[in-house]
Amino acid sequence: MAEKKIFGYADKISVKPGDDISFYVHADGTDIVDAQLVRLIHGDAHPAGPGYKEEEIANEANGVWRVRKQFTQVGSFLTVADPEQRLALNGSFSLCTFVHPNSPGGGRRQCLLGKWDAFGNRGYGLWLNPDGFLEFGFGDGHEVDYLDAEVPVLKNNWYFVAATFDAKTGVATLYQEGVATRYNSLLSKVANVDFRSHVRETLRFRPVNPPEIPFLLAGARDHHTLRGDFVTQCLNGKLDRPAVFDRVLTRDELDRYRDSGLAPQNGLVAYWDTAEGYSAQGIGDRVIDAGPYGLHAEGYNRPVRAQTGFNWQGKDDCFRLAPEQYGGIEFHDDAIIDCKWELTRTIKVPDLKSGAYAFRLRTGDAKGMREEYIVFFVRPVKPKAPILFLVPTGSYLAYANEHLSFDAEIMQPLAGQSPILSEVDIELYQTAEFGLSLYDHHADGAGVCYSTYRRPILNMRPKARMSSMGVTWQFPADLSIIAWLEHQGYDYEITTDEDLHRDGVGALKPYSVVLSGTHPEYVSEAMLDATEDYIASGGRFIYLGGNGFYWNVGYHGDDPWCMEVRKLNSGMRAWQARPGEYYLATTGQKSGLWKDLGRPPQKVFGVGFISEGFDSARPFRRMPDSWHRRASWMMEGIEGEIIGDFGLAQGAAGGIEIDRYDLTLGTPPHSLIVASSGGHSDNYQTVVEEVLYPYPGLSGSHDYRVRADMVYFTAPNDGAVFSTGSIAFSQSLPYKNFDNNVSRLLGNIVTAFSKPGKLPGWAWSAEEKQWR
Amino acid sequence: MSDTTAPIWIDPTDSQHPETPAREVPTNPYLPHQVTWDETTRFRPKMYLVGRLRYYYKWPGHGGALWTRTRYWPTRRRVLNIHGEYNPKTMRREKTIVDKRPIWWMLALAAFFLMPLFVPVSSYNTVMSAASVFAIYAAINLCWMLVVGTAGIFSLATYAVVGAAAYGTTYMAITLGLPWWVLPFAGMLIGLAFGVLIALPAMRLDGFYYALLTLGVVELCRVYVVQSRQFGSATGGLYGAPSYLPAWLSQSNRLLLGYYVAVLLMILALALYRFVDGKRLGRLLRMAQEKKEGFAQACGVDFIRARIMVFLISSAALGFIGGFYATHFGGASPNLFSFDTLLLSLAMLVIGGIGRAEGAVAGTLIVVFIDRVLIDLGPLRFVLIGAIMLGVVLFLRGGIFGIKSQFRAWRDKKKSERRSTRAEKGGEMLPEEATEVEDKDQVYFRRFDKMQRDFLKRLVSDAVIAEHKSKPLGQHSEALERLLIYFRRQGQIDKYAIMVLEEFKAYRIVALSGHRGTAPRMVEDRNYETPDEAYHALFLRRVQDLLET
Repeated sequence: MAEKKIFGYADKISVKPGDDISFYVHADGTDIVDAQLVRLIHGDAHPAGPGYKEEEIANEANGVWRVRKQFTQVGSFLTVADPEQRLALNGSFSLCTFVHPNSPGGGRRQCLLGKWDAFGNRGYGLWLNPDGFLEFGFGDGHEVDYLDAEVPVLKNNWYFVAATFDAKTGVATLYQEGVATRYNSLLSKVANVDFRSHVRETLRFRPVNPPEIPFLLAGARDHHTLRGDFVTQCLNGKLDRPAVFDRVLTRDELDRYRDSGLAPQNGLVAYWDTAEGYSAQGIGDRVIDAGPYGLHAEGYNRPVRAQTGFNWQGKDDCFRLAPEQYGGIEFHDDAIIDCKWELTRTIKVPDLKSGAYAFRLRTGDAKGMREEYIVFFVRPVKPKAPILFLVPTGSYLAYANEHLSFDAEIMQPLAGQSPILSEVDIELYQTAEFGLSLYDHHADGAGVCYSTYRRPILNMRPKARMSSMGVTWQFPADLSIIAWLEHQGYDYEITTDEDLHRDGVGALKPYSVVLSGTHPEYVSEAMLDATEDYIASGGRFIYLGGNGFYWNVGYHGDDPWCMEVRKLNSGMRAWQARPGEYYLATTGQKSGLWKDLGRPPQKVFGVGFISEGFDSARPFRRMPDSWHRRASWMMEGIEGEIIGDFGLAQGAAGGIEIDRYDLTLGTPPHSLIVASSGGHSDNYQTVVEEVLYPYPGLSGSHDYRVRADMVYFTAPNDGAVFSTGSIAFSQSLPYKNFDNNVSRLLGNIVTAFSKPGKLPGWAWSAEEKQWR
Repeated sequence: MSDTTAPIWIDPTDSQHPETPAREVPTNPYLPHQVTWDETTRFRPKMYLVGRLRYYYKWPGHGGALWTRTRYWPTRRRVLNIHGEYNPKTMRREKTIVDKRPIWWMLALAAFFLMPLFVPVSSYNTVMSAASVFAIYAAINLCWMLVVGTAGIFSLATYAVVGAAAYGTTYMAITLGLPWWVLPFAGMLIGLAFGVLIALPAMRLDGFYYALLTLGVVELCRVYVVQSRQFGSATGGLYGAPSYLPAWLSQSNRLLLGYYVAVLLMILALALYRFVDGKRLGRLLRMAQEKKEGFAQACGVDFIRARIMVFLISSAALGFIGGFYATHFGGASPNLFSFDTLLLSLAMLVIGGIGRAEGAVAGTLIVVFIDRVLIDLGPLRFVLIGAIMLGVVLFLRGGIFGIKSQFRAWRDKKKSERRSTRAEKGGEMLPEEATEVEDKDQVYFRRFDKMQRDFLKRLVSDAVIAEHKSKPLGQHSEALERLLIYFRRQGQIDKYAIMVLEEFKAYRIVALSGHRGTAPRMVEDRNYETPDEAYHALFLRRVQDLLET
């Protein structure tokens, strides 16, 4: 029997009592697992804290679940519904497309377009063969006949390629020409590369086109005894304006198509105008067929739209300005948006207290991969509590299943340490089906711009630690806040980014105070607007982390489980979007840092990202303004000036990723710096968006800006914001079973913020007339 | 360190914490990192000019012009396997004929056809009869090669099959009065029957034992025909088979026609070789050669079936040749079964190179030429053949046609020997090495890395190791920080990492694969109780690796 493993996901991340939620479970080596509904309380097993805590909840779904091995379709491609078999081309035909190969060759066949059965050798197709040559071929169920080009295609250059086949004579002709502009390809014309190839050969037989073989762009049909039909040979690269004709196109016609991107009408079967159907609010998964039969193509695993096309001229940098230059649609053979597993179990959410829950699945010794938590968040049917914890699920998605320790050479110098890998991390690295995070690259070198929760997320579980940094990260770290609220006995509820994005300020309005997660880094415009409006209308917000409100992300309205980001020319970024590909296909907005869009986090939260380091953390020390009566109430019960010289994240409250007060970036002028960390190690480097010229001295032991600031300011209508400016802050809360000065400080603030009416210290606002 | 007063490093970050005394640790005296750069002013190995002159013509690519390719009808095979490419030195488009063998074969076949025109009149008889013998033996050897080369089974029963077919058909022709054109086909049937016979033991025996067995079969046949009256023990062979040569032809034209028919037979054998060796059956057999059967079987290859097939095919073909032999020579002689025939044939295969058609033909040509044309040398011929064979066995791995690849392998060996004696390990690239690197950035990286490592080696001291042990993470002295930054910046392949066995209790050192999807490998089986212990053990490993380079 195989090694036992369980993995699963739910179709929703945020539910209310009464909602249905479905679970999808994959199991190796077993067909039953023990399921138990649990409320998650603390997720960090660090010995300095209270340890891991959960509460088992009685539920009718508890007990044995029957599970099975599941299969996942990895790789993005386009499917074409063709009920009338227009694309079963039994006579002469031509296949054409513009293509930008990201990683041709390497021993992998990549399909551009065709109706090809890779298992039974039937149908026809235009491919990049395992040696990286353009190849046209077809099969009759027994044998394959094919014709390949003279020279391989070179990666990251635009080509126009075509194959024509004359069914009478059996003559096949390949057409391959480079179509790079000065902007859109890797190589300039000075590189002396002749991309052209025109080859003709007489093939021996004719293709057979059985109706069950689908026409696919960027993939081919395959079959496996257990799994059934699936898609293989996915493309790594971009296609632009592919077309199919039921006759042989002449060289002249192809030349005109190459120059204009317009397909000749005579004999046209399908012409997928990849630049069609764009709106100012974004682009969907459907690719419009502008041909006579309307054979529209649908994206599977979300091919990336809004990419620069074969004719991008560099002047317009957004698909909204020049859609006809943005016909590029990019495919990756390791993309995964929705595992689409077979349903294991659906439950109706019982009347649960709002909080973080999971179905805990166990088999065997319940260690490592023999234990899975499928996490979901329960928000209240009707808000009742004064305190809201806003779960940054968008940021969980961003880091979902990150591979940094394994793939990123920069990770060890960045983290200042060697990674500590777990069995689960290694399993994740070995399994393409779990997909990638927004910190990874696709195997072809392009950055990953989509992340979803319709797949097992192995690091969005309690107990998980971020291997590269040796600390808990995102969800398991945020559980320290939940554990604190729980321990202190506060009446709180939770909601998620997804709800905030959908419901806007209404999701926050009912609460007196909102607490953020430790690292709410990825926010959409709707989320940021709602938070800003909430604070401006009298809400109180505690920003309990660092490097928050940083990246602009987008969601499609109809699939909130999928988030998009484009990482641009600034910011601490794991990858860099290609020139011209800076706008979110989901919303039409420019992505990148909110700072670069005119909304630095300082404007709303008083602080913004300044530095990060993972080898150490430092305590805060009270700043003089903390003796001002506007803020001194926060310090009640705190002895001495040092705050948080302990913690579960590198032993202190100031660190990991840290934020700073900056008037030039819009920190409200009346803000106070209550406390600041200092003396950070040189692993803390100033963030790149604050660096114009890098020079020696931009690190912790040299640069005064490298620090975490606790900032406090009041907002209109008795609103207020308190920001901790540090990820490590919240991981100091559980120290000594929550009995410590960080916990006391936050307690003072939460208690004060959750009471309606005036805030403590509100009246101490006269001009100062001092004798001392 | 020889320094008695080790300098003290003060943690600069502690200045922000004036209440507690700053951390002070002994460290190394300062050494500027430019030291290795300043000390290195010339290449230690002698630098030679490199570059190879293009003294021959290379076809340009077709560019925008249409390239019409032709095939051997009715196959999918192209007339020439031409590969288009970019010249990496100029990006010029070029074409290379990847496999020039079709050209050589066409030239060779043309030579075979034209050869009679150039034979001197004085030795016409000798040469032409030798040429026919050559073609027939070449055909036999090609069929044999399918068993010995493609299937890798050391069968010596070849001449038993040929002889049995020759004797059988002659006997049938004499007793039944068969016309000449029936003989090859009758021979084929006899060969097929014989093939079944020798295929059976091949299922159980292999290697040396199978060779012995088949040798026994040949000897048995010889003894049988030598003693059998029916098979002409009295006349030293069985003669009287009908000849395909019309009786009215002159002697020289008989020789000529006989020669062309024999060449035709050889071409048929070549075609057979191509269709077995170059297709599915050949691939299966080459995968399942001796000692590799288990692997092939695990991959789903039914090698027993494939072996039976190749025995049957080659035996039928050998039988056909035996029948042809009978009509060509008018009968059969016990000489066919003799040990020296076998040995000579073996010499042909070995000299030409086992496992290739051109080897079988060229080896046969050489041996037959010496044996049949240089008759004047007398018994010395066999010494000559023996000497050639000895030389081939001693010095060549794949016979004459393996010389090219053997030479290249030898040149590569010499190359790497010379490079390893000339260049420093892990040091700067030689101009010769640089020609083989596509990304010239890597050439510089090697220089930088060498300088860096030579410098860093000087920083390793008891003081920095003690400092690391006291605090693996966080701010470090300049010397230690330099070492750590270098270690952390290494490429992902075989980069050390830590694996947790039990959170906060047990850790181990592993090395990353650097290849997505491949798990890290265990480096040692020692457990460390805390992350700090593991960090330090990992650091010591890296220091050791540094000092060893």
